[in-house]
Amino acid sequence: MTTPLLEIKDLHVSVEGNEILHGVDLTVNAGEVHAIMGTNGSGKSTLTKVIAGHPDYEVTKGDVLYNGKSILEDEPEERACAGIFLAFQYPVEVPGVSNMYFLRSALNAQRKSRGEEELSGAEFLELVKEKAKLVDIDQGLLNRSVNEGFSGGEKKRNEIFQLAMLAPTLAILDETDSGLDIDALKTVANGVNSMRDPARGFLLVTHYQRLLNYIEPDQVHVLLEGRVAKSGGKELALQLEDKGYAWIEEEAATA
Amino acid sequence: MTTTTTDRFAHTYTLLRKALPDEPAWVSELRNEAFENFRALGLPTVKHEEWRWTNLKPISETEFVPAEPADVSESQLADYLIEGADDVRLVFVNGRFTESLSKLPAGPDGLVVAPISRVLDSEEGLQVKLARFAEPTQPFTALNTALFTDGAYIRAGNALTFDTPVHVLYVSTNTSSPALSSPRTLVLAGENTELRVIESFVGLDAGQRLTNAVSEIVAKGNANVRHVRLLRESAETSHVSWNEINVERDANVTSHSINLSAGLARNDVHAVLAAEGAHCDLNGLVLGRNNEHFDNHIVVDHVRPHGSSNQLYRAVVDDKSRSVFAGKIIVRQGANATDAQQQNNNLLLSDTAKVDTKPQLEIYTDDVKCSHGATSGQLDPEAVFFLRCRGLDETAARNLLTYAFANDVIEHIKIDPVRVALEKLMTERFAGLLGN
Repeated sequence: MTTPLLEIKDLHVSVEGNEILHGVDLTVNAGEVHAIMGTNGSGKSTLTKVIAGHPDYEVTKGDVLYNGKSILEDEPEERACAGIFLAFQYPVEVPGVSNMYFLRSALNAQRKSRGEEELSGAEFLELVKEKAKLVDIDQGLLNRSVNEGFSGGEKKRNEIFQLAMLAPTLAILDETDSGLDIDALKTVANGVNSMRDPARGFLLVTHYQRLLNYIEPDQVHVLLEGRVAKSGGKELALQLEDKGYAWIEEEAATA
Repeated sequence: MTTTTTDRFAHTYTLLRKALPDEPAWVSELRNEAFENFRALGLPTVKHEEWRWTNLKPISETEFVPAEPADVSESQLADYLIEGADDVRLVFVNGRFTESLSKLPAGPDGLVVAPISRVLDSEEGLQVKLARFAEPTQPFTALNTALFTDGAYIRAGNALTFDTPVHVLYVSTNTSSPALSSPRTLVLAGENTELRVIESFVGLDAGQRLTNAVSEIVAKGNANVRHVRLLRESAETSHVSWNEINVERDANVTSHSINLSAGLARNDVHAVLAAEGAHCDLNGLVLGRNNEHFDNHIVVDHVRPHGSSNQLYRAVVDDKSRSVFAGKIIVRQGANATDAQQQNNNLLLSDTAKVDTKPQLEIYTDDVKCSHGATSGQLDPEAVFFLRCRGLDETAARNLLTYAFANDVIEHIKIDPVRVALEKLMTERFAGLLGN
């Protein structure tokens, strides 16, 4: 049996002393797309931040294995360099740092950590051109400060652009579809679909089933009060769209 | 009887007068008058509202002697020259013009770039202009007028475009006892002229010193002056400066005050938008570390209608350093349709660094657009996390954000070689940044 790409075992997580995740189990294999759905406050965002290594989240029990090794002691940048990518729910504005400069710094930091040559200016620009087309991002945005003054849709596109540029092994998208119009949503979905690869895994956190019309998941998980309450195939998402979350809550209560 | 601060400076003044070469009688009179002014005013203390955050003890309790002549080689200057802005330079070492290190321009007609000492006799009108713009009632200004040895005189006649930057370097070095230099710059831009001036204040080595500088910039109708002052004094040096900017009809002055190092520095900028349609940008940057103390006081005085001004001051303070910003916008009665903006942003990199900020508006007319804002804080932890999630280590992430914060001021500099040089300097200072 091959080692799963991501394995989350009985994960308990606290923020400022409040436990938010109460024992999450989840396995994502390379080549798979998993969707995580759930109501507000169910712990979806917390889960993504813990995997990425946010310093405010404390793991009190359990483990997160990436390629079979625990990453809980790793710094966020070490996780990033190892191939874990988090697309932010609320992309951060970084005034004064151009998108291009930022991306080149990030890409070269990652390449350096893997013992690869840094990209030359020309190679980098070639890559930018190719990937910008893929996510249909306006070239003008690339020379502006990271996310500063971007519309909501532009910010999300920019996250997918970074995803395409950095080509991680595990991509986690935290509500990247929220607040997008249908065109932007399709662009995001196209970006993800074009990056599907037998060696790459995706974890899509979403509020809305709509995204899954465009990205077909291998598995859907419902997070409820800090636990995975139900897992199933893509039809589970349709059921949620139809019936809401109450029936899962009832199921979980009687289980 | 205790020796007072004014007694000490009277002694300094006596020593200086003995050391000075012969000069026109009107200059001696100007000095005497100014020193009497200073004696009457005395040095301010923290009890003065405008000085409450800056304690002048390092100055008031020290007896300074006039800085002695010293030799400086071209190679010692190398780090302070600016690539692409080195065609015209005036170098003053310990207050004295050093011809061998200077490059004076060969023209065009109508342009004078010279040490003040050489034009005191010849330059028509200097008698009425020298020390006439900066407020004589400021003690340090009076002290400078009494004690100045030399400085830069840059005058452009009407309708002259001289876009070659003039770099004035005031260098201090090799002083044994606490030494005083009083550099003075006078920039007169005639109507429809264009001038670029860089002033560098450089301490080549360690030493307890006082640099008391006065710069006056006058932009006549429709003139355009771009000015940058670079503060690079040594850690034991106190630096006080008064920067008088006089903007006439439709003229435009952009002035950047870049504070890179000094023990204690106090810069006053006093800009008078004296006629209709005058515009000025007054921007500043403080990069403080160790025990450095920087105090920037700005007054923009809108006297006539349709003037506009922008202020952007930023400070990055680390270790136990401290930055003070006080910015006042005055809009006089009748100065209608004035547009005046002010921003002060401070970034504290350590728990022991300190920032004080005081924005002030004094508005005596209704038809104005004014705004001011001040922020002080640490780096946004979410931004640091974001950059780390993309692969930058924590130090690189913090440095990149700090660089970006400071660069917002640098990128407004309109003398391109200076902007490029400062970007490079900041990249080095915030080590760990990747090259371009």
